[in-house]
Amino acid sequence: MDHLENSNEESENQAQTLGQPLSDFLLQLEDYTPTIPDAVTAYFLQTSGFEPKDPRLLRLISIAAQKFISDIANDALQHCKMRSSNASSSHSSSKGKGTKDRRYCLTMEDLTPALAEFGITIKKPHYYV
Amino acid sequence: MEQQVNPYRKMLTAAISAILLELGVDSADRDVLGSLTEMLQCFLSEIGSMSHNYCELSGRSEPVIADIILGFVEMGIDFSGLQQFVKNGKSVVLPSLQPQQPQKQMNMLQAGTKQPLPSHIPQHLPSFPDPHAYIRTPTHKQPVIDYEAIREKYAIQKKDMEKALTKFLCRTNPIHNLFDNEEANIFPLIACKPTFPPYLSALLPQDQIFDVEDLEYIAKDQDQAQPPRKRIKSECKVSDSKLPTDDEEEAQENVTKATEKENLNWDIDNPYLAATKLPVKGTE
Repeated sequence: MDHLENSNEESENQAQTLGQPLSDFLLQLEDYTPTIPDAVTAYFLQTSGFEPKDPRLLRLISIAAQKFISDIANDALQHCKMRSSNASSSHSSSKGKGTKDRRYCLTMEDLTPALAEFGITIKKPHYYV
Repeated sequence: MEQQVNPYRKMLTAAISAILLELGVDSADRDVLGSLTEMLQCFLSEIGSMSHNYCELSGRSEPVIADIILGFVEMGIDFSGLQQFVKNGKSVVLPSLQPQQPQKQMNMLQAGTKQPLPSHIPQHLPSFPDPHAYIRTPTHKQPVIDYEAIREKYAIQKKDMEKALTKFLCRTNPIHNLFDNEEANIFPLIACKPTFPPYLSALLPQDQIFDVEDLEYIAKDQDQAQPPRKRIKSECKVSDSKLPTDDEEEAQENVTKATEKENLNWDIDNPYLAATKLPVKGTE
């Protein structure tokens, strides 16, 4: 019991120590506009009962979400790049052209392994309703 | 794709598209976009409920940053890189300020003037629809049904029918020419076949049937001969198929008999000339 409490406290302390720069960071968010509009974030938070008055909190969450997606997308993009470079090298016919105007199209093939790295399993539904 | 998608979800999709473009992705599958949108929405909802729970757990109704941080920790999200992310990310790419959706004003076709609600219907109830929805208007001219007009119409019809029948017989039966020149028989006359007692047709009642029994007798007698319809216009056409009584038959020449037989066969072939079935209790 004691141990548990201690660990809890520890984690809280850690959060506090990690949170300290975050609260400083919060002050910078006054003029920052995240990609996800405040209203949209507020709406989805509201659906789960969370209604912060401070718009900076909203922005913090927006940024976190944005980073979350951005990381995943970046991973998927790397997969995509790897795949296309493999494909082009295996073809080895139009290398010069391929590097020049290679267009990256994100597909589920790229997204699925990227998500798996984040511990998210995604499956294609059998059919759409 | 979707007609009634939540506009907030649409905005999420737009934001994701902006992020992807910024990363250097040129295009993405619809599946990818959909999955990412779903994940983003889940993320927001989840962090919302987490923070909300932590907030209420500590007896506050107003969330503070600590609640969110705890939410992040609970969700296992590394938030240490956020500051860095904001700093080196040129991510200030605003999704174009959503243009106010031009409200598509569906122009309802106004037909007629709406009726005001009658006094016994409370005013808060919806008003009546356009009158065309419940008012019946005749789409055709009402038929004239007064006696004179109908008689007139009937007469015209009868006359037309007779004319048509005469014309038809002129085409199909032998005719006499009124004038001698061959090329133009403008006034064809239906050839008349003389019968032995020429006055017989005048004696036999053919135009009208007065008695049902009589009718039966005639029908039986005429069965093979000719539809009685034809005899409506007996003014110009002397009945070419007389009612063959025994006397007559004896008197007639063989030649006419032969022609008549021919006629008979021909009659049956022609549906217009075949004997009609008279109703048993016909009332004409």
